[in-house]
Amino acid sequence: MDIDMDDVPMQDAELTPTINEETSINDHDDFQDIEFKPGSSGIADNKSNKPLELNSTNINQLDAWIEHLGKCEILSEDDVARLCKMAVDVLQFEENVQPVNVPVTICGDVHGQFHDLIELFKIGGPCPDTNYLFMGDYVDRGYYSVETVSYLVAMKVRYPSRITILRGNHESRQITQVYGFYDECLRKYGSANVWKMFTDLFDYFPITALVDNKIFCLHGGLSPMIETIDQVRELNRIQEVPHEGPMCDLLWSDPDDRGGWGISPRGAGFTFGQDISEQFNHTNDLSLVARAHQLVMEGYAWSHQQNVVTIFSAPNYCYRCGNQAAIMEVDENNNRQFLQYDPSVRPGEPTVSRKTPDYFL
Amino acid sequence: MSTETTESKDIYPLALLMDELKHDDISNRIDAMKKLDTIAIALGSERTRNELMPFLIEVAQDDEDEVFAVLADELSKFIPLVGGPKYATLILPVLEILASTEETLVRDKAIDSLNNIAHELSQDQLFNDFVPMIDRLSTADWFSSKVSACGLFKSVIVRIRDDTLRQNLLALYLQLVSDDTPMVKRAAAKNLPPIIDLLTQNPDLSNNHDWDYISNMFQKIINDNQDSVKFLAVDCLISILKFFNTKNGSAHTKDLLDSSVKLITDEAWRVRYMAADKLTELASQFVSEPSCLNSLVEPFLSLCEDNESDVRKAVAQQLPGFAKILKTSLSETDFVLGKIIPAVQNLSMDESEVVRASLALKVTELVEVMTKEEAIDHLLPILLNMLKDEFPDVRLNIIANLKIVNDSIGIDLLSESLLPAITELANDVNWRVRMAIIEYMPILAEHLGVDFFNQQLSDLCLSWLWDTVFSIREAAVNNLKKLTKIFGSEWCRDEIISRLLKFDSQLLENFIYRFTLLTALTTLIPVVSIDAVNEQILPFVKHLADDAVPNIRFNVAKSYAIIVEALLSGEDKDTNKALVKDSILPSLEKLCSDNDFDVKYFAGESIKKCNELASA
Repeated sequence: MDIDMDDVPMQDAELTPTINEETSINDHDDFQDIEFKPGSSGIADNKSNKPLELNSTNINQLDAWIEHLGKCEILSEDDVARLCKMAVDVLQFEENVQPVNVPVTICGDVHGQFHDLIELFKIGGPCPDTNYLFMGDYVDRGYYSVETVSYLVAMKVRYPSRITILRGNHESRQITQVYGFYDECLRKYGSANVWKMFTDLFDYFPITALVDNKIFCLHGGLSPMIETIDQVRELNRIQEVPHEGPMCDLLWSDPDDRGGWGISPRGAGFTFGQDISEQFNHTNDLSLVARAHQLVMEGYAWSHQQNVVTIFSAPNYCYRCGNQAAIMEVDENNNRQFLQYDPSVRPGEPTVSRKTPDYFL
Repeated sequence: MSTETTESKDIYPLALLMDELKHDDISNRIDAMKKLDTIAIALGSERTRNELMPFLIEVAQDDEDEVFAVLADELSKFIPLVGGPKYATLILPVLEILASTEETLVRDKAIDSLNNIAHELSQDQLFNDFVPMIDRLSTADWFSSKVSACGLFKSVIVRIRDDTLRQNLLALYLQLVSDDTPMVKRAAAKNLPPIIDLLTQNPDLSNNHDWDYISNMFQKIINDNQDSVKFLAVDCLISILKFFNTKNGSAHTKDLLDSSVKLITDEAWRVRYMAADKLTELASQFVSEPSCLNSLVEPFLSLCEDNESDVRKAVAQQLPGFAKILKTSLSETDFVLGKIIPAVQNLSMDESEVVRASLALKVTELVEVMTKEEAIDHLLPILLNMLKDEFPDVRLNIIANLKIVNDSIGIDLLSESLLPAITELANDVNWRVRMAIIEYMPILAEHLGVDFFNQQLSDLCLSWLWDTVFSIREAAVNNLKKLTKIFGSEWCRDEIISRLLKFDSQLLENFIYRFTLLTALTTLIPVVSIDAVNEQILPFVKHLADDAVPNIRFNVAKSYAIIVEALLSGEDKDTNKALVKDSILPSLEKLCSDNDFDVKYFAGESIKKCNELASA
């Protein structure tokens, strides 16, 4: 399938399989018929009333998992259950607007491209030496969603104050059934249990973050029902991503050249114009809204006269878009620097150039 | 204990297996099949033979491919379980069924298992059971059985001493090579080289009749009208050549040379690709016949100018190997300059970047067939040009393989001509190119000596510390350590540490550079003198203990442990112990009560380590 992106500065991160402005989640209501009920994995059955305390036992366990996952090898189903239970006791105590300190490196969609995530750490530096803020969409599309999300969640539990992981619109039961994560779990574990655990965990992910009270970070964009950041704090986020309403908008909306609010071609969220961004930043005393959610060929793209920046961290998205990826380093004096990078070098995997006749051998 | 309980225990596993193998969920059936060996052990060898094997014959005809694949795999370990090699033929019927299924994966596993079992069969068993099975598979109606049969000949061919029987088998194989379906022909052509190699290893076994068959097979393959069969002739040809070289028979050399040329100049590009890809190996079979080698030169050059970029890509990597063979066998020497270099020149400017990158991987090896002067006059200009290639992989491949050029023409000349190119590449936009240059630095340093290095390269080495890409900063740090090992502690102190500590403070406002500096100094600790640690490194680390950024503070904690390790392993252990106690431990203890969890954790780990070191 040819995707011509030269004349369009931004593209929906949702490209295929349905190129016709996919994923209007309201069309995917069939999930209600499936037996997978929120909470059925049991990872949140014995929630603690205080945040997880790290001790030498669970630190050793986490370090071992992180080392294992770093080699792109999956954890056992039992270990995923243990990890998700620990993660619930970390994430449930985070806020809807999670405060984050500078310096921090802000990243966009990863989409199961595990090797490119490792490349990202090669560019930005390893965690915990570098602090990271990921703005969602860890799963679907790429071939290693399980490894990617397991790795990031393990890092989150091990270094809760060094890494922040927000929820993207793909961290949802409905979307993952259509775009790959569900099938990947089934393929790699032989059952949907691991998928149930992770999607139950996604409900606890914070939905936005506020970097040094100046940069508002979230996956999608603004909502007509949210004027102040305090209104985000009042939402009940521990639930499946709704089909409409403020929580849905924060994960689904896109900036647009047209002013005001517009109907989103995605079927969920809205488009918002420069007037909206300027007003929001002014009201909340912000310098910037940082978001992900859309493929941008250079890896990052400014819009609304630098009121909004889009960051996309999956190079050669879906292994064929030919885009660069980027991350944004914010230092302790709030200076920003964008780092762009290309796909990792993976010997043995098909490259973009024409395939040699090895296929016949 | 009553016999009844023992018996019910015995029956249990088979009943359980049968139940599990009828389970609706395929994953249960796969899991059950994976436990097949355990069940056989529980049953004992007699019941495995009498009950389990017949049951498996049924299973092998009625389940899913996934289950079959596991079954085929499991059966390879079954010889001891049925009671040793004398009962091994009982396993064959199940595998024969599996070798006839449609799914390639199942068949491949069945073939592997059959070949494993064949090793343990006696001559009688081979004749009476294994060979008839090959016969049935080879003459079956459906292509899948015949494809499987092709993979089995290698287990029997050299174990049959009787000429007639062996030639019957070869006749059967010839039938497979001449089959109607391309799948069977491909499988037969693919499995022919290992069979020929076996005959090469047993040179006295085969006679001219065997070779009539093989020659017939080869003619069929090389003249096939399907590219995907024909290109397999290249491997067959190499194996045949190896046989005759072992036998010292030169009667067929001319024919085989003609076949080689025919393949190299074939009209199908896939065939030419295969010939190009194996060119060195092919040519090396003709080393004893210089005239034959000579007649390969023109066809070889035509591959270098092939219309298909994939063919040029393949041959580009064969250039040095081919040149080496020519050099050792031919007396005339001007072919390198007269023929090879012009071909390299053209390929180095090929329109396809993949071809140029492929050439860059091996082209430096050409120095081995040239004199120093020839290399300087003819190869070096090409290399310098390739270092300016717009495609980063080309530059990268050249740099990564430059060492061999050093060895030949000497570092002085190389650095003289390459230094400008290297300094330019040190700032390449592609970070992996910068990385390759950094990794090249210690080699340069070793050869150039300290004066030249200080003049020309030390600024460059320090500048990489401030790169935007973490991996480059990390490599720059490790590079400083390697350089210190070469030039010594004194040099490091004067040329590196002193300069690092004088870095302008504005740059250090960004925590990334403070972090890099901290990492650099910490990494240098094991290779510099204790005085340098005490006087230069420790004060700097200490002053970062109050840094506003927690990431710096917990790396200070980690750094302390390394400093203590150095201080307590040196000569003035006792003086240093006091220093650790008075100056490092208080700072670490302060970090232990930090607000940040990670700072507390790493400070605690370092204190533990310091105490261990102090008490040791």
